[in-house]
Amino acid sequence: MQRTYFDHNATTRLDPSVLNVMLPFLADNYGNPSSIHWFGRDARRALDTARRHTADLIGAEPEEIVFTSGGTESDNQAILGIACLLRDRGDRIITTAIEHQAVLNSCLHLQQMGFRITFLPVDSEGRIDPSDLEHALDKDVILVSIMHANNETGTIQPLRAAASIARARGVLFHTDAVQAAGRIPIDVNKLGVDLLSLSGHKIHGPKGSGALFVRRGIQPPVLIHGGHHEHGRRAGTENVPAIAGLGEACRLAKERLPETARVTGMLRERLEKGILGQINPALVNGSLESRLPNTLNVSFPGLDGQFLAINLDLMGIAVSTGSACHAESREPSYVLKAMGRSDEEASCCIRFSLGHENTVDEVDRVVAALNQVIKDLRAV
Amino acid sequence: MNRGRERVVAAMSGGVDSSVAAALMLREGFEVVGVTLRLQSCSEITVERSCCGQAATDRAGMVSGRLGIPHYILDCRKYFENEVLRHSWREYNRGRTPNPCVICNEKIKFGFLLDFARSIGAGRIATGHYARTETDSTGAITLHRGSFAPKDQSYFLFSLDRRRLASAIFPVGRMSKEQVRAISNDLGFQDGFMESQDACFAAKGQCYAEILRQRFHGRAKHGYFIDGSGTAVGRHTGIHQFTVGQGRKLGLAMGERCWVRSIDSKTGAVCVTNQCGDLFSHGLIASLVSWNAPPRGGNPVECSIQVRYRQEAVPATLESIGRNLVRAVFQKPIRAVTPGQAAVFYEGDRVLGGGWIQSSLQGDFA
Repeated sequence: MQRTYFDHNATTRLDPSVLNVMLPFLADNYGNPSSIHWFGRDARRALDTARRHTADLIGAEPEEIVFTSGGTESDNQAILGIACLLRDRGDRIITTAIEHQAVLNSCLHLQQMGFRITFLPVDSEGRIDPSDLEHALDKDVILVSIMHANNETGTIQPLRAAASIARARGVLFHTDAVQAAGRIPIDVNKLGVDLLSLSGHKIHGPKGSGALFVRRGIQPPVLIHGGHHEHGRRAGTENVPAIAGLGEACRLAKERLPETARVTGMLRERLEKGILGQINPALVNGSLESRLPNTLNVSFPGLDGQFLAINLDLMGIAVSTGSACHAESREPSYVLKAMGRSDEEASCCIRFSLGHENTVDEVDRVVAALNQVIKDLRAV
Repeated sequence: MNRGRERVVAAMSGGVDSSVAAALMLREGFEVVGVTLRLQSCSEITVERSCCGQAATDRAGMVSGRLGIPHYILDCRKYFENEVLRHSWREYNRGRTPNPCVICNEKIKFGFLLDFARSIGAGRIATGHYARTETDSTGAITLHRGSFAPKDQSYFLFSLDRRRLASAIFPVGRMSKEQVRAISNDLGFQDGFMESQDACFAAKGQCYAEILRQRFHGRAKHGYFIDGSGTAVGRHTGIHQFTVGQGRKLGLAMGERCWVRSIDSKTGAVCVTNQCGDLFSHGLIASLVSWNAPPRGGNPVECSIQVRYRQEAVPATLESIGRNLVRAVFQKPIRAVTPGQAAVFYEGDRVLGGGWIQSSLQGDFA
């Protein structure tokens, strides 16, 4: 059976070049980067290289990068860590209604511990209004966390405007850039963010790898306590193979970004035209202007999203209903609900997320398969 | 898709029976798609390791992985809530004792899941039920007891109409539990399977009906316990907490053993007796009767009748007394005939049909 992978927002294929960089550290170069000897130095060098590449992808300095086990840990470290550090200064955190669960549930955890959380609303395209942030800020706010691009819809937030509002009030600004990385250019200085989360496996790196950017001069938030690894910012012997892989993935992501954006953008346009041209009704969710080039989220009213995705899977086509992180739930997507979609519209959506390895033939095959499945489903 | 092989859906609860059923379908050469129904939210109502729980779902996934078949978790919580749970609460609140498994088989497994199966081009569903189907001389599909009497589950399947029966495959229906376990061992499935039957409705430490009441914000029908002489002997906090024949946890200090004889939802009276002989009845009225096989030989029909799961069937005479309404008179009295439970009619091991118990007949019918 021919297999087509259109679920790159869930995870991506490990790039062969990333694997090559990792392999020595899974085999002979087993040193501990903290050791004083020769074995340790090899590993240390790998961390240094990876840190440089990771920083380069987002316009940061190497010492502003803390390696973590992934995007979720980075989000937890930023939010729980800052809350812990600044709890004497205030008890409010502002985020949005459409964050990834790593951010949402970190905030809800803090809420249970007595913090006050404000969830900014989004408009019908899934974007916040920076003036809402302006109004929500007060002296008790210690952190604002707004995602860069949404995992379900690909909608990009007006991050620069939001960050400058927070910064003008002296409030720290975190962004979950897990989905944006490698798909659109990111520059932490132009954006004006203080903390930024990255994940390796969304950019053809290994699972279990991630990073948190912490702007120089900010007291670093700490989640995992122990030894003095990562300059005391994240304890535990470094996962050298994963970190080396993350670094190479970041290097490739930066190098390929214009080409990736061009290819996935072209494929996405073709997919969108194909679907809207052949299937009615079909509603595109999210912003049409401000979105990741690789993501397309469509509601097919009257159909059950899980039936659609399973039918496509049985034909060898991998897509997801909403986010892979809660694929087993047929709860209407909270992201689409926050955008004002009805329960019905929010339970019949399919997310297509493309990668640079996808082809025009695959797009045409998916459109044809989808068209067929929907005809069959409507006939049942 | 593998052309030439018939695609079937295996309903996989994570229990040993449905796991073996899926394996047997694969062995028979079908293209098998495993599906676990997500009926309730985690930590909601059920005990931890229930058939709706995560552990069982994971196990179904593991079994599918071993078999090399695709496995999906279908979220049908909304349907389950509306078709099964809400119905169950209504029944309890009418002083009846619902049988959610029958409803679940009809509306969820051979309803929602069958719709799903059709949507992926599978016409039939294999389940782990101990029951059999046969094709009679006229080509009609008939439902029969499982060959292994102690596990027979045909009682829970009586309401499946012919269309649904035609789509049902019961691969373990001719096997004994030991045979099923042996196959499971041969396949290398690990031990530790649980029996999923009824587990959807098991609740830790709490009365299930009370949990349903809270879920649907129902108002409990308070009332009195009434003894055989018509005297109020105590108060209770809701008729939904009782079932006919119940002799424990009545919350009634009578100084002697007593049992629930009947429940009156209009007055809220729970009638109790200290004579266990009072619990026996000679017949029942069943409503919403459906026939798998139209009764032969007209009216009345001689058959045997089973009024709850795992209870012995008793010879009875059925008489139609209205549209889908049947009066059954037993040849020997049956204990605790409970409104809300199913009355299933058998001819030998064949299911003729069944209905829902409306009331028991007491007194001098026999």
